[in-house]
Amino acid sequence: MGGNNSWKSFGANSQDDTNLRRALNPHHTEDSTGSSNCMERNNIPGAEASQKEMEMPRSMNFQLYPLLSLPHRPRVGSKFSPTPSTSLLPCLTAVCRISSDVHTSIPLPLPRPPLPEAAYIHLPFCRRRCHYCDFPIVALGSSSHRLDDDPRISTYIRFLLHEISAAKAPSSLHPPIRTVYFGGGTPSLVPPRLVRSVLEAIRAKFGELAADAEVSMEMDPGTFDARRLDEMVGVVGVNRVSLGVQAFQEELLQACGRAHGRGEVDEAIELVAGCRGIESWSLDLISSLPHLTEEMWEESLRLAVSARPQHVSIYDLQVEQGTKFAKLYTPGEFPLPTESQSAYFYKMASEKLSKAGYEHYEISSYCKPGHECQHNQTYWQNRPFYGFGLGSASFINGVRFSRPRRLKEYEQYVKKLEMKTTAEEDDDVAIVDAKETAMDMVMLSMRTARGLDLKWFESFFGEAMKLSLCRAWRPYIDSGHIVAMDEEKRVVATCDFELEMAGGGQRRRWEVAFLRLSDPEGFLMSNELIAISFGVLSP
Amino acid sequence: MGALYGAARAARSRLRPFLSESRAIVPILHKIGGERSFCSHSRQNSREGAVDLGQFPPERIRNFSIIAHVDHGKSTLADRLLELTGTIKKGHGQPQYLDKLQVERERGITVKAQTATMFYRYGIKEDDAMENLSNYLLNLIDTPGHVDFSYEVSRSLAACQGVLLVVDAAQGVQAQTVANFYLAFESNLTIIPVINKIDQPTADPVRVKAQIKSLFDLDPADALLTSAKTGQGLEHVLPAVIDRIPSPPGKCDSPLRMLLLDSYYDEYKGVICHVAVVDGALRKGDKIASSATDHVYEVLDVGIMHPELTPTGVLFTGQVGYVISGMRSTKEARVGDTLYQAKSTVVPLPGFKPAKHMVFSGLYPADGSDFDALNHAIDRLTCNDAGVSVSKETSTALGMGFRYGLSVPQEYGAKVISTVPTVPYMFEYADGSKVQVQNPAALTSNPGKRVTACYEPSVIATIIFPSEYVGPVITLCSERRGEPLEYSFIDCQRVLMKYRLPLREIVVDFYNELKSITSGYASFDYEDAEYQQSDLVKLDILLNGQPVDAMATIVHNLKAQRVGRELVEKLKKFIDRQMFEITIQAAIGSKVIARETISPLRKNVLAKCYGGDVTRKRKLLEKQKEGKKRMKRVGSVDIPQEAFSELLKVSKD
Ligand SMILES: Nc1nc2c(ncn2[C@@H]2O[C@H](COP(=O)(O)OP(=O)(O)OP(=O)(O)O)[C@@H](O)[C@H]2O)c(=O)[nH]1
Ligand SMILES: [Mg+2]
Repeated sequence: MGGNNSWKSFGANSQDDTNLRRALNPHHTEDSTGSSNCMERNNIPGAEASQKEMEMPRSMNFQLYPLLSLPHRPRVGSKFSPTPSTSLLPCLTAVCRISSDVHTSIPLPLPRPPLPEAAYIHLPFCRRRCHYCDFPIVALGSSSHRLDDDPRISTYIRFLLHEISAAKAPSSLHPPIRTVYFGGGTPSLVPPRLVRSVLEAIRAKFGELAADAEVSMEMDPGTFDARRLDEMVGVVGVNRVSLGVQAFQEELLQACGRAHGRGEVDEAIELVAGCRGIESWSLDLISSLPHLTEEMWEESLRLAVSARPQHVSIYDLQVEQGTKFAKLYTPGEFPLPTESQSAYFYKMASEKLSKAGYEHYEISSYCKPGHECQHNQTYWQNRPFYGFGLGSASFINGVRFSRPRRLKEYEQYVKKLEMKTTAEEDDDVAIVDAKETAMDMVMLSMRTARGLDLKWFESFFGEAMKLSLCRAWRPYIDSGHIVAMDEEKRVVATCDFELEMAGGGQRRRWEVAFLRLSDPEGFLMSNELIAISFGVLSP
Repeated sequence: MGALYGAARAARSRLRPFLSESRAIVPILHKIGGERSFCSHSRQNSREGAVDLGQFPPERIRNFSIIAHVDHGKSTLADRLLELTGTIKKGHGQPQYLDKLQVERERGITVKAQTATMFYRYGIKEDDAMENLSNYLLNLIDTPGHVDFSYEVSRSLAACQGVLLVVDAAQGVQAQTVANFYLAFESNLTIIPVINKIDQPTADPVRVKAQIKSLFDLDPADALLTSAKTGQGLEHVLPAVIDRIPSPPGKCDSPLRMLLLDSYYDEYKGVICHVAVVDGALRKGDKIASSATDHVYEVLDVGIMHPELTPTGVLFTGQVGYVISGMRSTKEARVGDTLYQAKSTVVPLPGFKPAKHMVFSGLYPADGSDFDALNHAIDRLTCNDAGVSVSKETSTALGMGFRYGLSVPQEYGAKVISTVPTVPYMFEYADGSKVQVQNPAALTSNPGKRVTACYEPSVIATIIFPSEYVGPVITLCSERRGEPLEYSFIDCQRVLMKYRLPLREIVVDFYNELKSITSGYASFDYEDAEYQQSDLVKLDILLNGQPVDAMATIVHNLKAQRVGRELVEKLKKFIDRQMFEITIQAAIGSKVIARETISPLRKNVLAKCYGGDVTRKRKLLEKQKEGKKRMKRVGSVDIPQEAFSELLKVSKD
């Protein structure tokens, strides 16, 4: 009976945990980067302050959450062991033993979910909606050329500021925010002074950004000139741009309803590439657009490479429900490329960009060494992040939450949020479904070239689970869709892998440390392969 | 035959749920003896003995069945007779009153034979004085006309001395008319021809009379002309029954012997047996024994179907009724068994053969973990109907399941996979041993022992149809490996043909095909015949080289090629592309006779996955995972459930 229950959700009651932590005398490191802001807050007198002292410290090495054992098992609160000191600790507040064949009666201790060091900010304004887009956006129309005084934008920003300041700031010792990402929408449409006010709010809430913080902004060709770009960099502090080129062909840009043409693309590239304050920029393309030919794709890749961005994102067109494309086209049918054509386009991109010195570090992302998008890495490593603004998602304390996608509802949400904070907090019990966590971990990490860290996975879900996962993927290691690697990222031969899975008598050290999808075959089949693993993680 | 098969399948699904319901209709009982006043009793307060069966010595009893081709009006005629005798109220209740099963009501056909007891006052002509009316007890059994349920007819006839052979005045004699006539004729029963539906504009009673004469050698002058719809001619039916059909031959003063005709399970009352008392009498409280099992039971309740269960406390010689005796399952109630007074010794009655199921299909839960639920359902089914045969088996592809004869419980229809129907083949090996094979997968292609001969069951089919269709019918029968036995005209327009056909050839789709090539005019009947030697091979279906046991079939060598092609093509349509190329092969032993390939998936990837869509993407992939769950995995290939059921449809070899 107990075995079947091991996948239940557990609630983490903060009250309990605080007491436990107090009893266990946690070390309390002072934050060297702590701003004056933080210091001030530390001075708040009374119980609140002492409570705050109990809050999360910066380092994760010694602050462990007491574990939450299975309902039927004795609670083993005092068994602590250090977690692997890795920066990749996921938000996981539950302990789970999945397999029925291996049961440990002592569940593993859980790390306290770290506080987010990443913030996503949604700026939803666009000139008009692109035909493939199903994002929460606000189309402003092209009539008013002077957007800088558009009340729709300033009103929205007001709500955004309120949302940020109403956010529960868990500690005066909040770790500095390392990445901020302005996504949209078309953030470049928002006047720089307003963007700046948003960033100010972030600072006010969480303290000064980390010294080397990455501040990214999505920008569209035709929405900015040199002055505006300079302002975004100089006044706001943007240091990374994600440029929404999407295509280099006039007819394709038109067919997908982009508000810009080829001329604006070239102009924008020149501006961004020549901008000093921008340390890294990404050129974003969509592959498999309707009417795309091999020649066009070849051209796009060539032009992308010659623009010399540090980063290239290539999104395969997804025909989403409710979009204009969904009305017009059926995937795999003309004028959309066939499945094998679009697989070919994917391979072309992988090949050409690799040749040009880009690493294919995630299914749809390429970069020059060291230029990974830090913010996106947060997602793929299943680390926590804040989300602010219309339709944005956050992942805090193991809980994913999406804000309303409609403007009116979002505004209501912010109003409520403000009231709630003043009326004391109420939602400190995080319910985390362990199955979902496991699936997220596998789904996200398998998107990356780093792959799934098996030790790390095992530390949460146990050896039996790890082995079942390996068994399920075994045929695809043979077929070359999945690659097994050792600690040094050297490929492990299938036969060795086999031997290790057999385990038992041999008592060999488990050499396989990582499993990743191969490039491009495995990446191309990622859905299928991940769905297979889900069959093991959530039978 | 596919349609028939389907009908059969649906037929047993909800066996007799209605008998257990207490009906709103208050049965009207004739008060026997004394005045012919009506007196109504509700079920609850109808006391035993309200009907005094002692008034009916065998000479006042007539037991008869109504038999006919499907839809010729048996049940409607039964309605009229029940009304005429006041057994049911005119205009109350539904038409075809005795068709109580859900499937019967839905499809408008009779599936189970039903018995009803009626009382009728009639003066036998020899008495001369017409006032001198006597009360008669008449047992009517309405039978199904559908070829799949002819077993019901034969067991009904065991309780009768005569039949009404109903023939549609417009359609004339049809295949089941012939088949049922012979059943009655061979049982030495009195046959009263009834030409029904004479109200129809196309009615041609003269032609029907001629057919009766030429086919059955019955005197056309004896035929009654009726319309069960308008009531025309009905007044002659019961007098003819009393005048022409002999009374039951049993001996009143001999020890009790009764024939167990049928049994079913009622949730509240337990097992209810239908019996015909051949000799002696049966009373409530009696201890009765079964000659088949030697078990002894106490009679807890006994009575007649009038038409609902009506307790009488007693049944006398020649009477037909029900007995409740604390049997736990219908398995204890073997139809054809002789029941007698415990402690007495009697010679068992000849009885009749139990139903023999010659068509088998595997039945597996779609979701392997549902085996218990299916097991339970099957148990209930077999508990309800002694005529279903089931055995457990395991398929490597489908997990644990059953091999069942004839029928599938309807409520599980959606959740089970049933495999291609098969018939029991016989294989003879070099060492002289013979093995009967019901599940093709059980016959290994390479058993070490050499197969020296194969045998398959055959049937004798009777087909009656308008003569212009002779060509297509002959073509169909020879395609189905039929051997012509007889060819005659039953009148100037209609032909009767007899064929010996392998049973295998008629279990899937034969009847449908026959109907379609004859514009629906052909009628068809068959009886089991002996095993015939045949050139059979086992046809394996392989996916990436691995045989799928649930898809194996045994086919005639000459047809293997075509069947193999069909199966392989069909499968190709139902298996989705997967990560690897899939080859589908049909093979006899190691010889591949058909092959298809499914090209691998090229791409199945979600372009972006950022913070906002983690949950959505996870759900998408979870859905994809759920899709996989509904697949059966053979080797590295996922096969959707539909593929199995679709193969069932294709295999008309
Ligand atoms: N016109 C006309 N229709 C009739 C007559 N008798 C029956 N029918 C119709 O014929 C159809 C079949 O009648 P049933 O009484 O169900 O026939 P059945 O012989 O019991 O059929 P099965 O039990 O399925 O073999 C029904 O639609 C009846 O209404 C009749 O005398 N005249
Ligand atoms: Mg009927």
